[in-house]
Amino acid sequence: MFEEASEVFDNMFKSSFPLTFIVFIPAVLILVSPLPAEAAHEFTVYRMQQYDLQGQPYGTRNAILNTEARTVEAEVLSRRCVIMRLVDFSYEEYQKALRQSAGAVVIILPKNMSAVPQDIVQQFMELEPEMLATETIVPIYFAMEDDELLSIYTQTLTSSSSQGSLSAAEGRHSSATVLLHTATANGFQMVTSGAQSKAISDWAITSLEGRLAGVGGEDLPTIVLVAHYDSFGVAPWLSYGADSNGSGVSMLLELARLFSKLYTYKRTHAGYNLLFFVSGGGKFNYQGTKRWLEDNLDHTDSSLLQDNVAFVLCLDTVGNGDTLHLHVSKPPKEGTPQYSLLKELESVVASQYPEVKFSMVHKKINLADDMLAWEHERFGIRRLPAFTLSHLPSHRLARRSSIMDVRPHVDVKKLSRNTKVMAEALARVVYNLTEKGTPGDLQIFTEQMQVQEEQLSAVVDWLTAQPRAAQLLDKDSSVVSTLEYHLGHYLKDVKRHYVKADKRDPEFVFYDQLKQTMNAYRVKPAIFDLLLAVCIAAYLGMMYLAIQASQNSRSSLHDLTPTNAPTHTLISSGAEKTDSYEFLIY
Amino acid sequence: MTLFHFGNCFALAYFPYFITYKCSGLSEYNAFWRCVQAGATYLFVQLCKMLFLATFFPTWEGGAGVYDFVGEFMKATVDLADLLGLHLVMSRNPGKGEYKIMVAAMGWATAELVMSRCLPLWVGARGIEFDWKYIQMSFDSNISLVHYIAMAAVVWMFTRYDLPKSFRLPVTVLLALCVYKAFLMELFIHIFLLGSWTVLLVKAVLTGAIALCSLFLFVTLVHSN
Repeated sequence: MFEEASEVFDNMFKSSFPLTFIVFIPAVLILVSPLPAEAAHEFTVYRMQQYDLQGQPYGTRNAILNTEARTVEAEVLSRRCVIMRLVDFSYEEYQKALRQSAGAVVIILPKNMSAVPQDIVQQFMELEPEMLATETIVPIYFAMEDDELLSIYTQTLTSSSSQGSLSAAEGRHSSATVLLHTATANGFQMVTSGAQSKAISDWAITSLEGRLAGVGGEDLPTIVLVAHYDSFGVAPWLSYGADSNGSGVSMLLELARLFSKLYTYKRTHAGYNLLFFVSGGGKFNYQGTKRWLEDNLDHTDSSLLQDNVAFVLCLDTVGNGDTLHLHVSKPPKEGTPQYSLLKELESVVASQYPEVKFSMVHKKINLADDMLAWEHERFGIRRLPAFTLSHLPSHRLARRSSIMDVRPHVDVKKLSRNTKVMAEALARVVYNLTEKGTPGDLQIFTEQMQVQEEQLSAVVDWLTAQPRAAQLLDKDSSVVSTLEYHLGHYLKDVKRHYVKADKRDPEFVFYDQLKQTMNAYRVKPAIFDLLLAVCIAAYLGMMYLAIQASQNSRSSLHDLTPTNAPTHTLISSGAEKTDSYEFLIY
Repeated sequence: MTLFHFGNCFALAYFPYFITYKCSGLSEYNAFWRCVQAGATYLFVQLCKMLFLATFFPTWEGGAGVYDFVGEFMKATVDLADLLGLHLVMSRNPGKGEYKIMVAAMGWATAELVMSRCLPLWVGARGIEFDWKYIQMSFDSNISLVHYIAMAAVVWMFTRYDLPKSFRLPVTVLLALCVYKAFLMELFIHIFLLGSWTVLLVKAVLTGAIALCSLFLFVTLVHSN
């Protein structure tokens, strides 16, 4: 048969030269054409964090994924893409998958995060830092659940678990059953479209500064208010950071609004400079704050931070709960402005909001730690009196760095109450009201000067409308420019500060490819192809034999009477229709 | 899925043509160039049909899911040009009836196979995604080979001057069936909402029936002379 084929081609090429062009050029063109991507399902995946901090690598180190999907129930996970759902996610199974050298892990998050039971949310929050604590070689992706993805998961689960049970019960099943089962199984090939992740060079973290100048002579004391605006979670594109630290930023903006109002009137213009600082890179060891301090203390001659800083107040995670904690690294001494703020806070809480439990938490700076606990420690290291206000009792709580920290985690009522407490206490310090004998339950911020709940809620809504991970907000991002505009509305001398990591010995390195499109292709195992090839060969063989047989009967057909011929052909053409006409060539 | 899968589909689609060409004795007549000419006629006819359709049948703009019965019927009527084309090929080929039919049908069907199935197979069956439709497409090409042979035979019979009176009606009916087969299939799919495998089966049965009827008529005709 093949000799005949070559004969045909020989004839073709000998007879005419242009024909070779007609046949070969399209053939070559087709051969070099790229493979098309026509996927069963296409969805967006968010990669786990990948960054280096102080030379230490964290998170997943890989972005490329092209493997078949399995669930944890499958017997063999090596070089497979393990799909898990958040609802039944467990750290043991995740570890098991990684130990078995899985090719990748895709975790499916429910579409409606607020409908997830609290204990699962809590459990996952706790796991997030653990997943990030060490570097992972294989890519870890997060995907939002939809119907298609759920059906892919269910199908994979069915085939994986049946595979597991089959191999477990191999003794009882015949090998043919197992073979047939593997041959007909549906699989999914998960493929990401992006390239390998690589370090982003020259990434600039932006921080913003603005001030309200006090009145009444030179060398006024300065109060610094600080909040970091970036968020952190196991996947940067999913970190909305509502409570940490959207709430802090919105409180800072509200305080800026209130005090800018007070500072416009001569009678209420106080003798304190107020310096507002919205820092970037707060979740990466407060890089923005660090650089700002260096710039102000080491490189400039005159700066508000250099002389007479009353205290630095950092706002971190203040949007929920009925407790308020003032975290300090050194208990303030009596007579200092720091001490008076502490006392004012205590008295405001006691007289106006008795339901709030206020306390001071003392924690020494541990320089041996990789990460600083609170933002005020950055200032503490530079010997500036500083503390952090938060409703969290400890810096270790997972909700400060979780993708579960979404908008519903901020209670605007409580945020507004906390803002009010803070504003009252601050005003009492700035105007020195206690020494002037004002009673503790006097409310300053009422009526026109009220803390505006809508304002706070609008700011939190806007901040949580997009992920604000430090890797995603460059200097042109809308978050930064809107924040700048906002600050410029209330404050003077609004300036940007940029941090870029050192080229030779970078303190932090970010990586790209954090958001990708993943395709799930429906595939069959290789054994299925073989089986199909055998079937097709059998079909073609039967056809060939049938035609051969009909050719042999050609001669005998001559002898047949016309009436008999059709019945004869009918019989053989029943087997294969294509060759019915081969009789006719006689 | 893989190159292997493409090979499977390709073998399924092309080998029946090859076997038919080799075993029907066409190769003995050295009919290769005649087949190529038939293929060229196919291309020409399709081009004319397309121009005609594009000019006179603008896109149906009815609501989605509404079946434009009359429009589709008119479009199917344009397929009469295929009959003319086949007749043209056969009238230009001297020789016995069977030879004429086989050359015209082989050229015609192969040209269709190359033009309308080769590229989708290469592009689709080689991709990562597995889909049964490429295997179905390959089976469909086998069916269309039978279809074109039957059609050519019917056209040949229809154009004979010595066709007995009693044959006139059945041949005409078969001719109409051949032309409107695609339209009928569309109608079936639309009315009964058939799955793709059922469609293939129905198509095979229908084509087989047409082929057997025309074979019966042809053999009777040839032997009666």
